[in-house]
Amino acid sequence: MSLEVREFIKPFVSVSEDLYYFSKQAKKNGEMVAGFMCTYSPQELFHAAGYFPVRIIGKDGGTPLADQWLQPYACSFAKSVLNMGLSGDYPFLDLMVFSHTCDTMQNLADVWRRRVNGPPVIIVSTPNLSAGDLSLTYLKRELTRVKEEVEKISGNKIADDKLLNSINLYNKHRDNMKLLYDMRRKSPTLITGTEMFAIVLSSFVMKKEEHNKLLEELIQQLEKMAPENIAKPKILVGGSVCQAQGFIQTIESSGALVCDDDLCMGSRAYVIPSVPEGDPIEMLAQMYLLRIPCPAIHKPGYDPAGPYIDKIKAGNIDGVIFLQTKFCDPYGFNYPYLRKRLEQEGIPSLLLEVEQNQPVAESFHTRVEAFIETLSAK
Amino acid sequence: MSEYFVIGLDIGSATAKAVLIDNEGKKIASSIRPTAGRLLQSAETVKREVMEQAKVNEELVKAIITTGYGRDIIPDKTKSITEITCHARGAHETEPTIRFVIDIGGQDSKTILLDIDGQVNRFEMNDKCAAGTGRFLEVMARTLGIHLDEMGEMAVKSDKTSRISSTCTVFAESEVISLLAQGEEIPAIVSGLCRAVSERVQGLAARVGVVPPIMMTGGVAKNKGVVNWLSKILKHELIVPEEPQIIGALGAAIMGLELINKNNDSIQKITQSK
Repeated sequence: MSLEVREFIKPFVSVSEDLYYFSKQAKKNGEMVAGFMCTYSPQELFHAAGYFPVRIIGKDGGTPLADQWLQPYACSFAKSVLNMGLSGDYPFLDLMVFSHTCDTMQNLADVWRRRVNGPPVIIVSTPNLSAGDLSLTYLKRELTRVKEEVEKISGNKIADDKLLNSINLYNKHRDNMKLLYDMRRKSPTLITGTEMFAIVLSSFVMKKEEHNKLLEELIQQLEKMAPENIAKPKILVGGSVCQAQGFIQTIESSGALVCDDDLCMGSRAYVIPSVPEGDPIEMLAQMYLLRIPCPAIHKPGYDPAGPYIDKIKAGNIDGVIFLQTKFCDPYGFNYPYLRKRLEQEGIPSLLLEVEQNQPVAESFHTRVEAFIETLSAK
Repeated sequence: MSEYFVIGLDIGSATAKAVLIDNEGKKIASSIRPTAGRLLQSAETVKREVMEQAKVNEELVKAIITTGYGRDIIPDKTKSITEITCHARGAHETEPTIRFVIDIGGQDSKTILLDIDGQVNRFEMNDKCAAGTGRFLEVMARTLGIHLDEMGEMAVKSDKTSRISSTCTVFAESEVISLLAQGEEIPAIVSGLCRAVSERVQGLAARVGVVPPIMMTGGVAKNKGVVNWLSKILKHELIVPEEPQIIGALGAAIMGLELINKNNDSIQKITQSK
């Protein structure tokens, strides 16, 4: 990639140095910041109320404070976030939002509410059954309740047109990200997987308005680039990790290219579809029910292998690496079926158990290298 | 005399191994030394030893392939390849019908399923837990006041086998001491320890799916007690090569030869980075 195009990637990459830089700046400027845990959080609602919504992520390190309140078999992501909350590491938050997804998240929400000295907590009761009229009615009522609570806490009324604007802004952002993913499927060398993840990560901690602008500038540059041939194996990374940066970097430094993903902090964050304009709460309810579900949500008739197979075909993927966070049951339940389907399609895969509060282990590196060696031998 | 030679270096966390082969893939020399925390020095030592044994000068060594824990830091390597791929290759070279490799080393164990053509199909590694590795047996030998090398014979000759219920090396050590205090015989305990190691490895093998014929490699393959127990538990005979510890280094050397043959013109001995 040329030096000029590199310049358009820099602002995304620099975010990793201080994830909450923009949050802290916003706070300094007297703005309100809302932290959310999950892509089922209706960020558009908080945005319309005047908040800067940022995704809450953990960090490397032990979790002694969290270990007091969470059982040993809670995932390292939940423990890390709780530990940071208990340590006062998110001082910029004016609101903390949890969603009703997996067991650990549900309990984390309650533990946080009781134990963390911090901002007000909202728990969005996302229905586990993600289809049908009952779910729609339920979610509409729930989103209305959340809207009223946010209005009370923020002191700002969420007018319909404001909410519509926020929905449109977020839709535009998702379209841009989906376009970028598509461009990479067709021409994987445009940007590396590591750079792509930096763009994804920054999209969660940067204002959407700003991120959209940077995205559009980058896409313009990338559209001018000619596709290159690549001799490295092309990998799709799936799984249940939030901070995948280190893992993706290790995979790419072992001689492969991460061309696509099925990650929550990845392509699954942008699967919320646009719906015809109408009552904005109704729109939000539709959007969040129609979306491709996460493993903790049940959607009758949905085939979790579908997105994998589609992406593998679209990108000529050579192999799949699953990053399985230890103790993530929902993803773990999907895995045997996913593996079997991949085997049926003749796609090699590797399952790696990882932790989200530790640097990438040497053992990870060896397994990834060995897997890539088998792909290169084909 | 062969036109040129190739060296495979398997630098593990417990031992460093070197194998020197000629341009037809025949093993000329091999060497094993404890790593003792010195990856570079032990690599250099075993490399020099095989060259001395084979009476081969540096200039005649056309490629050095490194594998194992220390594979990336060896400065004059041509290429580094993971121990998974190298063990598979070494096993296939030694016995082409092998479909499954069980490698129990000093600090890790691995199970590898091979395709019919000897390529790696799937693998599992245990490098988190000492149980099921050579380390387990080392610790227990010390606790029992015997030599590691005596354990195999002792286990085979014992007609009793103590039940070791702890899965953790640290707790198993305490359990062994209790057994001694209770008057259990050392050979029976040793047999129990060999069974314990085999049960750990069985789990690792089952995750991949065992397909015979099975080859066992690594230092622990020299322990007849473990070989017997593992064979009993897996319900398959295990093929143990003459020198089970050097299979990884052998595989590395063979892959080096293949690399040379693929590039028809002579290749410089270069340090390749990925």
